[in-house]
Amino acid sequence: MRLRTTLLFLLVLSFACSLPAFADDFELRLKVLEDTLKEQQQKIQEQQKVIDGLTDELSAIKGAQAAAMPVAAPVSEPKPSKLSGLFGGAAMTNPYLSLILDTYLYSSSIRQDGLAGRGIPGYNRFGIDRRKGFNLDSAELFIFAPVDPYFNLYANIPMTENGAEVEEAYFVTSSLPAGLQVKGGRFKSGFGRINGQHPHAWDFADIPLIYRATLGDEGISENGGQVTYLPDLPFYLQLGAEALQGANDHMFGADAKGGPHAFAGFAKASLDTGDYSTILFGPSVLFGSTKNNSIKELTTLTGNSQLYGFESVYKWKPSKDKGLVVQGEYFYRRQAGNLTDDLTLTSNSLRRAQDGFYVQSLYQMGRWRAGARYDLLDFLAHDYILDGQDKGQGPRPWRVSGALEFNPTEFSRLRLQYNHDMSGRDGRANDECFFQLIFGIGAHAAHTF
Amino acid sequence: MKRIILSVVFIVLSAVPASANVNVVATLPWIGSIVKEIGRDKVDLKILVKPSQDPHFIEAKPSMILSVYKADILMFNGLDLETGYLPVLIESSRNPKVQPGQRGNFDCSNFISVLEKPSTVDRSMGDVHPLGNPHYHYSPSRVLKVAEGMSDVLSEADPANEAFYKANFAAFKERLAKKQKEWKGMLAKGKRFVAYHKLFEYLASEFGFQVIAYIEPRPGIPPSAGYIEQLLDTIKRTKPDGILLTPANGTEEADFLSRKSGTKVVVLPNDVGSVKPGQDWFSFMDEVISDLR
Repeated sequence: MRLRTTLLFLLVLSFACSLPAFADDFELRLKVLEDTLKEQQQKIQEQQKVIDGLTDELSAIKGAQAAAMPVAAPVSEPKPSKLSGLFGGAAMTNPYLSLILDTYLYSSSIRQDGLAGRGIPGYNRFGIDRRKGFNLDSAELFIFAPVDPYFNLYANIPMTENGAEVEEAYFVTSSLPAGLQVKGGRFKSGFGRINGQHPHAWDFADIPLIYRATLGDEGISENGGQVTYLPDLPFYLQLGAEALQGANDHMFGADAKGGPHAFAGFAKASLDTGDYSTILFGPSVLFGSTKNNSIKELTTLTGNSQLYGFESVYKWKPSKDKGLVVQGEYFYRRQAGNLTDDLTLTSNSLRRAQDGFYVQSLYQMGRWRAGARYDLLDFLAHDYILDGQDKGQGPRPWRVSGALEFNPTEFSRLRLQYNHDMSGRDGRANDECFFQLIFGIGAHAAHTF
Repeated sequence: MKRIILSVVFIVLSAVPASANVNVVATLPWIGSIVKEIGRDKVDLKILVKPSQDPHFIEAKPSMILSVYKADILMFNGLDLETGYLPVLIESSRNPKVQPGQRGNFDCSNFISVLEKPSTVDRSMGDVHPLGNPHYHYSPSRVLKVAEGMSDVLSEADPANEAFYKANFAAFKERLAKKQKEWKGMLAKGKRFVAYHKLFEYLASEFGFQVIAYIEPRPGIPPSAGYIEQLLDTIKRTKPDGILLTPANGTEEADFLSRKSGTKVVVLPNDVGSVKPGQDWFSFMDEVISDLR
């Protein structure tokens, strides 16, 4: 009985005790949780303190650095370098490259075999080097870039079906004092106006007659050196002098002398005649020793030559959609020497004094441009004195041309041109038609005036 | 003989300009206007481009070469806006002071953050500026940065007047802050416009309006009749607050769109003085903001 009572008591007791024991356990767990939370909170606070300390330290270092720098820049945007390239377009490659395709369709009233023999009698024997039908004038590679802070470099390499040719490859100084600039290498002479322009930049598909008669289809491009000078005046004046090798086979000839034997001088003045109009004008001279067979095949002219030129241009450009250019050049050439037959070696004295000019005008309206040109040779002088006798060469050579251009953008040009050419002195007209397409890709080269 | 030499010396000396001012050549009128604020009478200023000219289509003239030849500092817009004529001016000027890399070669765009810099670009996209949108002269915050740069470069070129340039910049900054508040108050946010060219992007981002379409299908490419018909549909559907152009753009297409849709044409000046002569940059911005209201 006692045992049973005891057991019962124990049971009741254990049961009774188990309730508070359960409550105790709950409280205990809660306390543990609370403690853990507190502990974590403390840890976070400690970590925050560490972070704050580090941040302070970092900003102190930064401040010290900024103070140590000569120019403190407390701006939100970083100031980039103040340097920038001459040609802009940093997104483009270096060196700057462009390719210009110049291609045309050609038709003529003269048979193909007649074109090759159609020179300008009295001036030179070189005929017309075009095919009736499709022609590739060239795909011209143009490369330019500054060499260093003192020189810029340019190269112009037209590629034709006959291969590539170095039309120009020259350096120009950029930082000489006193308005001086030196150019050297192979370049287009500063003589005249059109001479310095590349064929794709001409206002017509072909060069004026007076150029063709005296310097050739592409003008004069020579190995040599040039110095130009810009005096400090209230108006624009550029003076230039050149020493050239003299390889041009119309005026000079590679073998006329051992060293450089052609020289040029020019002056170009310009004034603004209004907000939107400008004139440019000036004389040029080109002279040197001559030895070539440009007059007749198998005959050699030995002697010396002088070419005097005067250029003038008027430009009116009131807006991007409208513009007018009127331009003309006059050339006078003197040549004196001996004309030798290469087979018989008989020699006769020859004196030539000849002149000519062209005038042209272009009017732009929006993307369209229309142009007209008139060429005349033997204008005031037409001496061709062989052995003291003036050999009359026949009627004056002349030509009229009309052109219409459509320029979709400044990188593409479509041109239709018509020439009525009476330069053959035989009374026969060469009625020519060009449909020319010019495209440029690559870096955007700036245009000269 | 002595007298002749003396008189020659005298003539040569008298030809040297008496003023010791800084010769600044600015390509665009807005640049000239800001230089005037900072440099005032201590600067001799020459501006190459006329306010009425489209800055995209400028041709190099010999008179510009002469100006750059005489410059101490050449200031230009940059971002290739002047690429058609400035390289040739810099080279032909043969002026060592303004060659790239020199202090006198001051590209204003070096002081600003550029919008719309394309990641890839070729010319089938039209005449896209590969360095980003160059028409930031409508952005007061950016013009402020340029003005600060100008005060720095003028101080370097003419240290004797550093305090003068800094004070002028401080005055400019203060005036601009006031004006900026005034302009922001004048213009309601959220307007929508059609524009001729991508010219107003900085203005839109700064003053909170949107340019939803362009009359040019691609930058620099004039629109075809078909494109204008499409654009007319867009305008009729979206009913923008106006068609924005400048005097340098043709008005033919905008007038047609306006007539057919009833949307008004807003002619904004493209540079300081291009609509009203004799402006400075502040009155130019006044005109722009009041035209946009």
